Amino acid sequence: MVASLLIAPLVPILAGIALIAGDRASRVPGRHTTYAIALCAAVIGALATGYAVFARPVLNVQWVPAIGMRLHLSVDGISAPLLVLTAVLGFLVVLHGRHEQPGGGTPGTYFGCLLLVTGGALATFLAQDAISFFLAFELVLVPMWVLIHRFGDPHQPAERARAAAMFILYTVLGSTLMLVGILALVFASGTSDLVALGHGTHLSQGTQTAIAAVLLIGLAIKVPMWPLHSWLPRAHTVAPTAGSVLLAAVLLKMGTYGIVRLVVAPLPLGMARLAPVVGTLAVVGILWGGLVCLVERSLKRLIAWSSVAHMGFVMLGIASGTALGLQAALFGNIAHGVISALLFTVVGGLKQRWGGDDLHVVRDALRDVSPRLGFALVVGFAASLGLPGLAGFWGEVLAMFSAWGAADDQPGGWFKGLAAAAAVGTVLAAGYSLRVLRLVWVGGADKANHVHPAHAGEPLPAANSPATTVQRFADAHGPEWIVVGILVAAVVAIGVDPVPVLHTTDAAVARIFAGVTR
Amino acid sequence: MSVTYNWALLAPVAVPALGAVLLLVIDLCLPRLGRLHWILAAIILLAGAAFAVPLALPGADSPRRTLCLPNKDCLYLVDHVGVGLQLAALVSAAVVALLAFPIKVPGERAPVLGALVLTAAAGASGVAAAGDLGSWLVMLEVATLPTVVLVALRARRAAIDGALSLLTVSLVSFAILAMGAAMWFAATGGGLLNGGGLLQAAKTPDSHRILVLAMMFIIAGLAFKLSLAPFHSWTPEAVGGASTPIGAYLVVTSKVAALAALLVMVRSMNVLGNPVLGVLGVLAAVSMTLGNVMALREQSTLRFLAWSTVAQAGWVVLPLATVSSTSLRSAAGYLVVYSLATLVAFAVVTAIAHADGRGAATRLRSFGGLLRRRPVLGAALGLALLVLAGLPPGVVGLVAKVLALSPVAGNRLWVLAVVAALNAMLGVAVYLRWLRIILGERQEPVARGRIHPVHTGLVLAGLAGLVVTSFAPQLLLSIVGG
Repeated sequence: MVASLLIAPLVPILAGIALIAGDRASRVPGRHTTYAIALCAAVIGALATGYAVFARPVLNVQWVPAIGMRLHLSVDGISAPLLVLTAVLGFLVVLHGRHEQPGGGTPGTYFGCLLLVTGGALATFLAQDAISFFLAFELVLVPMWVLIHRFGDPHQPAERARAAAMFILYTVLGSTLMLVGILALVFASGTSDLVALGHGTHLSQGTQTAIAAVLLIGLAIKVPMWPLHSWLPRAHTVAPTAGSVLLAAVLLKMGTYGIVRLVVAPLPLGMARLAPVVGTLAVVGILWGGLVCLVERSLKRLIAWSSVAHMGFVMLGIASGTALGLQAALFGNIAHGVISALLFTVVGGLKQRWGGDDLHVVRDALRDVSPRLGFALVVGFAASLGLPGLAGFWGEVLAMFSAWGAADDQPGGWFKGLAAAAAVGTVLAAGYSLRVLRLVWVGGADKANHVHPAHAGEPLPAANSPATTVQRFADAHGPEWIVVGILVAAVVAIGVDPVPVLHTTDAAVARIFAGVTR
Repeated sequence: MSVTYNWALLAPVAVPALGAVLLLVIDLCLPRLGRLHWILAAIILLAGAAFAVPLALPGADSPRRTLCLPNKDCLYLVDHVGVGLQLAALVSAAVVALLAFPIKVPGERAPVLGALVLTAAAGASGVAAAGDLGSWLVMLEVATLPTVVLVALRARRAAIDGALSLLTVSLVSFAILAMGAAMWFAATGGGLLNGGGLLQAAKTPDSHRILVLAMMFIIAGLAFKLSLAPFHSWTPEAVGGASTPIGAYLVVTSKVAALAALLVMVRSMNVLGNPVLGVLGVLAAVSMTLGNVMALREQSTLRFLAWSTVAQAGWVVLPLATVSSTSLRSAAGYLVVYSLATLVAFAVVTAIAHADGRGAATRLRSFGGLLRRRPVLGAALGLALLVLAGLPPGVVGLVAKVLALSPVAGNRLWVLAVVAALNAMLGVAVYLRWLRIILGERQEPVARGRIHPVHTGLVLAGLAGLVVTSFAPQLLLSIVGG
């Protein structure tokens, strides 16, 4: 059923536009109606995506001949896991909105923007035409900007505006550079069909390198890759929880997905020439992110920095130039999507309860105060440090493994060094993960010089009466607990049995590398 | 000497030109019509546009020629791009006339203003089809000079200042163009724009050099009219001083005329190759950068739109930096999209200026919370700004950016492409600044009036146009043969 390809992105997008427009009408729809509409749209989008992933229909019609843009939508092994991830998270963030609906605007605008981001991301992963891929890529920018600008941290209006502006300006620069690269690629190869481009092009190495460089710079801003990452921590720190989840779990993946589709597959010679640079910058990002995380005070910002490090592993896998590395990158994409979604949901909830996310404020042990959130935090950080049996493990180990045995045309010694440095990055990850768990999960309630934030300046309560020092706040219930529970289950499931995901991407990756050798 | 006439083909020029005379005659017979003259002018312009429509349909054969001399040289020829620009010029002039209709002016002035708009539109439509240097130059000036009077007739201090700088620039640019035309004449020995003399001249080194110099002069002269930096200085003055509909005329219809004139020249210029096109690339880069940077700090609405037009003019000529068959279409396509979005923005500003007083529309800050106060106007302005910024949901603006960039990226002019990419970013910063104000805190006007129904209708039509073309950009791009 070809219609599912159109329903999946269009229902969330149109419902999002309708919600935003409805907010301006003379009779504003109520909070519950809005929520119900948003939830329905997200479910329909997710079901249509599920069907499209299962049945693999193809839609290919003329759209804007003036710029050679076709409406070509389909699903293959590379996009299928990302589509499922996006659809599920699109549903979860709407569900989560029941629990946390930030102020700063009306519910209609909030849910409308969430749906627009989801729909735009689904369109991006479905598009099989380079120019419509770019168009869908841009679709998510304005709603995300509104989410950060309007619904971000209410305590920091100036920082909110700056972070939102930085987000959109960086990504617009990146995507316009990507557009330049796409147009050059399309002009040189004579087709904008990503399926045809996926079989490799027969351009000279010089041309391939130039186009690949422009595309990589553009997409590296989106990923983000060190040193073009500085917008990410800012945006994450002030974004609302749902915005952070979509940003980390979906928007960043669009960058790596674009690199696979537009650089690795069509421009193998150019990618091979640039791979040492990409690999080096990726490892610098891994170490840089890990080191910052060791000292970062803001919990949300810390997770954003850890994202920079994790995306470094994904880029290292891509740079290795092997099928295994690409598999690792695609798997790492999904794993990081699920883990960061879990961590941002938990930490967003904590920030809301604490009224801030400064790690230097001594707080009560999370395991006492809120066992469910505490458990989820432990699972999230354990996965983040790459504990075997959880989602983070496979992507990172395989990425290092593939870098160790990089492709024959790469400087092997250098890549072995990169693999070793990346291994140091995992040690850093263990360090900062345990640091956070010690500060938050174990807590500071048993310390002698305990100053409770709510009681700062007041006389200390009696040291031997724990009942007064443990500040109770509501644990995760209802929608929040459902969202967290599903994400925890996903982290464990992908970690215990990575085969289904690896199996899905297997054939598509093999096809890309068959094109290279030909 | 016998010349062929095809009146249907000439109608897009002849109808507004005769209409201008007709308007003055009607005023003689029925002196009390007053502002109704604007409606008459709009009807005449749309009638002229209706004659151009059949030629703009995808199946029409092109180029079409008439006024042919016995030796088969034709003085009037339009291809698909030319017809599309004629259509854009006439329709945008009609929109300007309708925007001006509700605004109070002294009764005896309306027919004069209407006739001037018709004359200028006839010039804009004629220059797109000029086949020889003489009519090209005359038509271009017919399109430009009335605008000086149109600006001045607002009769405020700022308007007189604006008109004066516009007049100075017009005279200077005319002098430069005349100089270029004279050198062209000297090099090719004839006035035809695509005759054999040009190819002959391009082959001999001496006349080739003169021809390149002539082209430089002509480009410089046109750059004044297109308000490309560094020839842009009149734009903020004139647009800021003129009444808002005339401001729209300056940045849309005049621009269409200037681009049409440039395209006529570029078509024959292709034989000259690199040095000339390089100049256009540099002008494009400088213009978009300067326009964006200045707009970033501008507080006045009209001057903001003027700087935005300087930046957008850079995008319009960007594709012309390459020799390819698609670059003319790309430039025209970008201009058409720009015209639609800018007209919508001006329609909103005019509507507010008319209802709440000019003071409530000339400062960016006074648009605070427009999306809540007046949802339709806010939505239209917001979408127009997004189209100008090239961000979805303004998809048609994004398509226009792709169109403008594709010849540049396709020919791998990396430096120009990177400058353009940086400017796409700056442009987003520029337009989001205004969008943030529209989304932001409410700013109630001192005196809140009612929006005139004609203005409401135009804004609604513009909003519908932007929404429809965002789903199907081809509808708009096909009028220039995209």
